[in-house]
Amino acid sequence: MTRFRLRLPPFDVPLAIAALGLVVIGLFTVFSATSIPGAHQGLWVRQLWWAAAAVGAAWLVAAVPYRVYDSLAYPTYGISLALLVLVLVMGSSAYGAKRWLDLGPLKFQPSELAKIATVLVLARRFDDPKLKLDKFRHWFPALVIVLVPFALVLKEPDLGTSLSFPIILLAMFFWAGMPVGHLLLGLTPVFNVVLFFATGSLWWFAGLLAVLLGAVRPRLAMVVAALVLNGAVAYAMPHVWNGLADYQKRRIQTFLDPGNDPYGAGYQIIQSRIAIGSGGAVGKGFLKGTQKALAFLPMRHTDFIYSVVGEEFGLLGTLTVVLLYAWLLMRGLRLALLSRGFASLMAIGLVTALFYHIMVNMLMTIGWAPVTGLPLPLISYGGTALIVNGIEIGLLQNVALRRKD
Amino acid sequence: MQPSNRDQRDKAQRFGVFAGAVVAGFGLVAIGLVRLQVADHERYLQLSKENHVRPEILRAPRGTIFDRNGQVLADSAPSFSIVFRPFPAESVGRDPSPDPEWVARVSRLIEQDPAEVRRLVQSANTSGQTAVLKRNVPFPIWSAVEESKDELPGVDVQREPLRHYAYGNLAAHLLGYAGEINEIEVDSLSSQGYRAGDLIGRTGVERKFEDILRGQDGAEYVVVNAAGKRVATFKEGERREPVSGHDLVITLDLKVQKALEQAMAGVERGAAVAMDPRDGGILGLVSRPVYDPNEFSMGLSWDRWRELSNGGTNPLLNRAIQGVYPPGSTFKVVTMLAALRAGIASPSTRLQPCSGRYNFGGRWFGCWKHAGHGSLNFVEALEHSCDVYFYQIGLRLELPRLEETARALGLGDRTGIDLPQEKKGLIPSPAWYDKRWGAGRWRKGLLLNLAIGQGEILVTPLQLAMLVSEAAMDGQPLRPHVVKQVRGAPEYHWQRPGRARLAASPTTWSALHEAMEGVVSGGTATLARVPGLRIAGKTGTAQNPHGKDHALFACYAPAENPQIALAFVIENSGHGGSIAAPMAAQVLSTLFLPDSLRPAAARPPAVADTAAGARGD
Repeated sequence: MTRFRLRLPPFDVPLAIAALGLVVIGLFTVFSATSIPGAHQGLWVRQLWWAAAAVGAAWLVAAVPYRVYDSLAYPTYGISLALLVLVLVMGSSAYGAKRWLDLGPLKFQPSELAKIATVLVLARRFDDPKLKLDKFRHWFPALVIVLVPFALVLKEPDLGTSLSFPIILLAMFFWAGMPVGHLLLGLTPVFNVVLFFATGSLWWFAGLLAVLLGAVRPRLAMVVAALVLNGAVAYAMPHVWNGLADYQKRRIQTFLDPGNDPYGAGYQIIQSRIAIGSGGAVGKGFLKGTQKALAFLPMRHTDFIYSVVGEEFGLLGTLTVVLLYAWLLMRGLRLALLSRGFASLMAIGLVTALFYHIMVNMLMTIGWAPVTGLPLPLISYGGTALIVNGIEIGLLQNVALRRKD
Repeated sequence: MQPSNRDQRDKAQRFGVFAGAVVAGFGLVAIGLVRLQVADHERYLQLSKENHVRPEILRAPRGTIFDRNGQVLADSAPSFSIVFRPFPAESVGRDPSPDPEWVARVSRLIEQDPAEVRRLVQSANTSGQTAVLKRNVPFPIWSAVEESKDELPGVDVQREPLRHYAYGNLAAHLLGYAGEINEIEVDSLSSQGYRAGDLIGRTGVERKFEDILRGQDGAEYVVVNAAGKRVATFKEGERREPVSGHDLVITLDLKVQKALEQAMAGVERGAAVAMDPRDGGILGLVSRPVYDPNEFSMGLSWDRWRELSNGGTNPLLNRAIQGVYPPGSTFKVVTMLAALRAGIASPSTRLQPCSGRYNFGGRWFGCWKHAGHGSLNFVEALEHSCDVYFYQIGLRLELPRLEETARALGLGDRTGIDLPQEKKGLIPSPAWYDKRWGAGRWRKGLLLNLAIGQGEILVTPLQLAMLVSEAAMDGQPLRPHVVKQVRGAPEYHWQRPGRARLAASPTTWSALHEAMEGVVSGGTATLARVPGLRIAGKTGTAQNPHGKDHALFACYAPAENPQIALAFVIENSGHGGSIAAPMAAQVLSTLFLPDSLRPAAARPPAVADTAAGARGD
């Protein structure tokens, strides 16, 4: 007599549970946020279908061996760049930015695809036993690969999403073994801008750069690159700023200081804080939020979904979400640790992308980061984002299934 | 290949960094959450329960507009408006139309049309933005509203700067006006920070210099209760003070403007421009009919707006830069200049004597003086505006040379003045006629008309003033301009003219000046004479198929040292010499003569233009 035993493939069960848990919380919250009368009423039904599609996408992506993605990395990257150009030419705009391609019933955000494609390409490049990331011909092409989508997304303009590209690069450089000193050198343009605006003088930065160069003692190409890049940044800063139209400056100022724009971003943050704060320890109860009803929080089911969680489920709800995310990311990191080569690098890139989005959104809703318009992964309403998150989870599961290969 | 132990150790260290970042990041979020949801929970709960926080706009005043001597022309005065503040929590998804009883009470209280109140409240409820129900209400009304605010949810009194034009309709077309932004503009301009209820420059300086005059609104967050009543200011949202717009100093001289307005007082339709011929600065600008820009500041009813914009006379039209007229004989200045430059005639050239008419191609072309002028040299021909002399000049000159001089003087193109919607006028070229009538299908006969400023040529009164200014200054190119200085932006400078100096010999200029002075001293414009002042000018009478002729006069003074140039176009009024020239005399005597020497009463524009020895054109 044969005993039948259900044999599941060895996918990462905790990771799947965490992701599904977050999606379910998201569904309930989107239901609550769109249950009040208004323009977005009833959108939760669509979110339900998107969630099903995302689970399907994860399954599908996990089923195909990741070696296939490895070999398809460059074509995927090329297509995503073409789409990014296309969105600039003929994309439809929302809130003053061109971010979407209109595909009939579907709105598609190419920057999401570009993020995954960039991770794949970088993972493919860095999957090389002879890789030496302090060599120009190894780090420079990677920099270019990242800067192209970064610039295209920045042009949309979508500063929030565009910044995820250099952050992914940084994380993958580090994971692939770039020395820390070199990483710091790569970050100097950021220090440059920040120090300039903080101190009003370039001397502080010049000193920092000198100390850094002395301590790291990199190859000549890197010294030259650092000097040229920072020189260009220092030269361009005042010119770029003065060349902007008044309303463009105002947008940037609003980005840096949301209190500047009382009817816009600043107000949203205050409303968001009131919603979260009024939720208290256990919240006002499912569907019982009052602040979410405010028309001044127009993105309550997308970018500000976390404030609805905070209002209705309280600290209990918000911390549950935090723990689920932490669990999910830790499982992802574990996969990166246990796997090798392409798989490991891909896992680190995906975890970084998710972590960046989660942090930026959460810090925004509690008022500690500027309003950028990034949704909360797996929870916010939105088809593209949810399916892309599904693909990301699927890729991580893919690593789990084949890490022994 | 198995990875070495050292590699594994490195990897574990890196893993530690990533794990640490995740823990630190979420730890930070957790701290923020605990502060909001535990430490400050009571306060936020209070805010969400019975109170709402909303930003209240502190409107920034527009910049002040000064004349060149520092006299205030337009400024911002404090005023009180009755506003409706929608209440989003209650209005979302509900019927946006207000309670009829509420509307009846409010409209009675603020003396505003109930239908208008209903419309404004509805749109405010839909957009979530504050609506102004009535602007600039007097004290009794706003104090009454203040008292009964509690019973009328949403209604509030708001202090806001009101655009005030100190002299009412004086220079209305030059200053322009600022009006409330409409709903379509709110959508398209919201990225530049405009909101419903904002004022935006509509015409004139107010529009052209909108970005400079406009201030930056401030805001404060206030906590309001369920009735919309202010309970406190919200500490978390910082109060931002409004920043007023930059002030402008314009080239206008209030004294000149007043004199122009006075001279034009009886005019139904027409325009006058006073320019400083030395730099092109506009000293005065009048267009008739006129409106009072203060009306717009107070908020205009639809009916009144239609009356102003669509009425047959269109008072909003700035005829000085948007009205195009045949220049009539004033254009003879251009024809003479072109002929002297081309060398086809000298100041002393005598042509076929004027018998009152001239035959060309089997057709008779008349001179305005039917009796004829007899034999004249070029200077005398301009003085007496002899058409027959200029017909002959036109034929010799031919179109390309006439066109070249006219264009070199900036005619047929926008002067580039810093006012919106300037018209180009028209100087026809051979190509233009080819296009209109077909190549070669137009005849030389039209040159006769063009030489005396009739036919297709069109100029604006501003171009006319620029023309005499440049004639006065020996061809120095000018860029007419209005704004002299932007306070707080010292680098502002009006644009330099884009044309080269008109080349002509000194004898050409002195002949032209002599002739133009002769026009006033003993020619067609003797009614422009002012004792003790040398004036040089040229009259014009433009035929017009729709009714009486337009009267034109352009001049500059003093002839020996030009300080002011004037141009008048008076629609459907008669001859330039009898209607427009006396207006110039009136303005110039006010400006140049001491009070004791001025004629006792301003001469009203003559009605019977043929009477009292009226000169022809």
